[in-house]
Amino acid sequence: MTIPLSHLDVLEAEAIHIFREAAAQFRKPVLMYSIGKDSTVLLHLARKAFFPARLPFPLLHVDTTWKFRDMIAFRDRTAAAMGLDLIVHTNADGVARNINPFDFGPSVYTDVMKTAALKQALDAHGFDAMFGGARRDEEASRAKERVFSFRASGHRWDPRRQRPEMWRLFNGQLGAGETVRVFPLSNWTERDVWRYIQREKLDIVPLYFAAERPVVERNGQLIVVDDERLPLLPGERPTLRSVRFRTLGCYPLTAAVPSMARDLDAVVAETLLARTSERQGRLIDHDQAGAMEKKKQEGYF
Amino acid sequence: MSSAARRKPRTPPDLAISAVEPLPPPPSEMRTALRRLDGILHVLTCGSVDDGKSTLIGRLLWDASDLYDDQRAAIERSAAKTGGRPDYSLLVDGLVAEREQGITIDIAWRYFDSDKRRIVIIDSPGHEQYTRNMASGASHADVAIMLVDARSGVKRQTRRHAAILDLMGVKRVVLAVNKMDLVGWSQSAFQAIAADFAALTAGYGFTGAVAIPLSAVGGDNIAARSASTGWYDGPTLLEHLESLPPRTSVVSGPFRMPVQTVLRDGQDFRGLAGTVASGRVCVGDRVVDVLSGQSSRVLRIATMDRDLEIATTGQAVALQLEHDLDIARGAVLSGSVAPVAATHVEARLVWLSQTPFDAKGGYLLRTPTDLVPVSAIEISALLDLETMAVSPAAGCGLNDIAIANLTLGRPAALDRFGDIAATGNVLLVDALTGASMAGGVVTVATAAAVAGRSTAATPASTSSAKAGPAVVISRAALAAGLCADLGTTADDQAEFDRRAREVAALLAAAGITAVLG
Repeated sequence: MTIPLSHLDVLEAEAIHIFREAAAQFRKPVLMYSIGKDSTVLLHLARKAFFPARLPFPLLHVDTTWKFRDMIAFRDRTAAAMGLDLIVHTNADGVARNINPFDFGPSVYTDVMKTAALKQALDAHGFDAMFGGARRDEEASRAKERVFSFRASGHRWDPRRQRPEMWRLFNGQLGAGETVRVFPLSNWTERDVWRYIQREKLDIVPLYFAAERPVVERNGQLIVVDDERLPLLPGERPTLRSVRFRTLGCYPLTAAVPSMARDLDAVVAETLLARTSERQGRLIDHDQAGAMEKKKQEGYF
Repeated sequence: MSSAARRKPRTPPDLAISAVEPLPPPPSEMRTALRRLDGILHVLTCGSVDDGKSTLIGRLLWDASDLYDDQRAAIERSAAKTGGRPDYSLLVDGLVAEREQGITIDIAWRYFDSDKRRIVIIDSPGHEQYTRNMASGASHADVAIMLVDARSGVKRQTRRHAAILDLMGVKRVVLAVNKMDLVGWSQSAFQAIAADFAALTAGYGFTGAVAIPLSAVGGDNIAARSASTGWYDGPTLLEHLESLPPRTSVVSGPFRMPVQTVLRDGQDFRGLAGTVASGRVCVGDRVVDVLSGQSSRVLRIATMDRDLEIATTGQAVALQLEHDLDIARGAVLSGSVAPVAATHVEARLVWLSQTPFDAKGGYLLRTPTDLVPVSAIEISALLDLETMAVSPAAGCGLNDIAIANLTLGRPAALDRFGDIAATGNVLLVDALTGASMAGGVVTVATAAAVAGRSTAATPASTSSAKAGPAVVISRAALAAGLCADLGTTADDQAEFDRRAREVAALLAAAGITAVLG
């Protein structure tokens, strides 16, 4: 007598299967590690896929220099504890030109410090496959994304040139100049990610838990003043409020939510009852209509 | 009405959660969210744009899933804008280009949790590319909802849909008879359509075929029983979907585990990693690798959490064997009932590519974890999806269903799709561009006449191993040598490409990946 697999068991096994397929088929894969909860789950599944062997690929973190300090500390702690091969890349040219989220607007900033930086790192290391934590439930244009998502030269995503995927046959044969993004969490939902973190007792960045943090309110969004680089508007004064984050990115572009959920169980309880989708907190997505799809075509996830 | 009240009432919870700390007493909705769901049911929806498919899916999500407030607000705004009913199809909108054209062009995936399980809606389009996309979607489906308009009933298109579903191994189908309000909720109209559907499906290998009268716009018989169909005593659409077994709960059938990769930890552990594709395996079981003819016993079933005594269909594991067999990626572990070490394969192919079949083109065959050079391939016939008639043919193109005979450059472990679907499906790959040309189901798998143990063992362990650096064949080098006799006409360029592919296929047979640079 065996107990039927739960849906989380099925999702876990599928992700492990995808990791193994990609690692076996591609010459030089890399795991895109963005420090957030999805990356935490992605990394955990990767370790399960190759246990007891070491991860057969490095991690890549694209550091925009505007991440929360807690994120960087968590990243370095995790890499040290697990003995990971971590590559950190920053767009030096963007830093030299002082590209920041205040003077340039979210689109230009994201393009230079995230999209261009990612392409630089992939090209410099010659990675032919990159694991990412994207999920189909995140946004309309992702609902049609493949598990193996092909990019033409220049990392361009063309929705009309994606390969049909049938059964569990993952075709990793690359044409000239092609690379691939691999999404082992394709079929997970935001709630699955939280349920899995809880089930597996995974350590996540403390910013996901409510704490008193210095906050300013802009256009109805709560922005945490993570360091002195955040320019305060006239009359604006940070106040301490109990907030947490549902999603983590660059601190000036990621809004917090008021919350009293100070531990994992409370966060999971709150998340499972959440009434708004998580990308509401990401300012770049509201920048223009079809924003995410445009970013994808340009090479952002 | 508040969004919470709109969701249907939940039955009392069964808190079978693994590794979860006790929580403060949760409200009833959260108990649902924390339930252990009994697996995942993949539901394919097929029908044309006019049948109201997007509305049906949207309505199902609206009624049965925990939509976020911002999603609900967007739908309510749509109703305010038009002054009419909400446009539920907005919940399944797609890419910008498609929205502008008012069509969907690909497969879209949607997820929601019912009381019992995760339901995945696979939406495949009902227009030009539909054979390709529907076949692709059907390969993932446990059940298919075939949508028809109550005013027009079962059409030629419905027949094509049934044929594709059957071909791809979908066993359960539901006929959703939509827009019943437009035929005055007529019982006789529904019964006539249901009878047509029963006659239609009787000719295929379905194990369950059910017709349900409904109205997607009004939400009748979607998640809630309709007051307008007092004469109907069958299930609502959601009730029916909740009653079907998810695929991972079925573990009958002979054991199969395609080996994905070999995991090593220092000197003592060598694990054959893979997902159990069929049946189950226990510690102590004798397992066979049909390609090399070797067998051994399972010493250990390893996962990062703990060692298992038994692994069943759907579980990703690493098997350590008593005797360390020299087998690698591409092998399929089985019990004594083994797959065929096939060198000749007959398959039904769904042609996926814009580029038509080329008998002289270089192709590779992807099996669950192997990639085998195709040394010869011919199309013998095309299948007409409406009449199921088979007519002789020598070629095929996009959206065709072709019967093909393949000779493989070395044996691949395969089953007949009808026997074990998970190890009986294949993908035809262009040797040069890597493009997926066709997906197929194996109808006949034949081993070489002379048992090919010695020929099988060596290439299998090298060419299916992790790809080495790709060789770049430059166009200039080909033009200067192999293709020096060719000019610039379209025919000559086609011949140029054919030769390039042939070179790539020959190199692939030797385990070398080639790309045209």
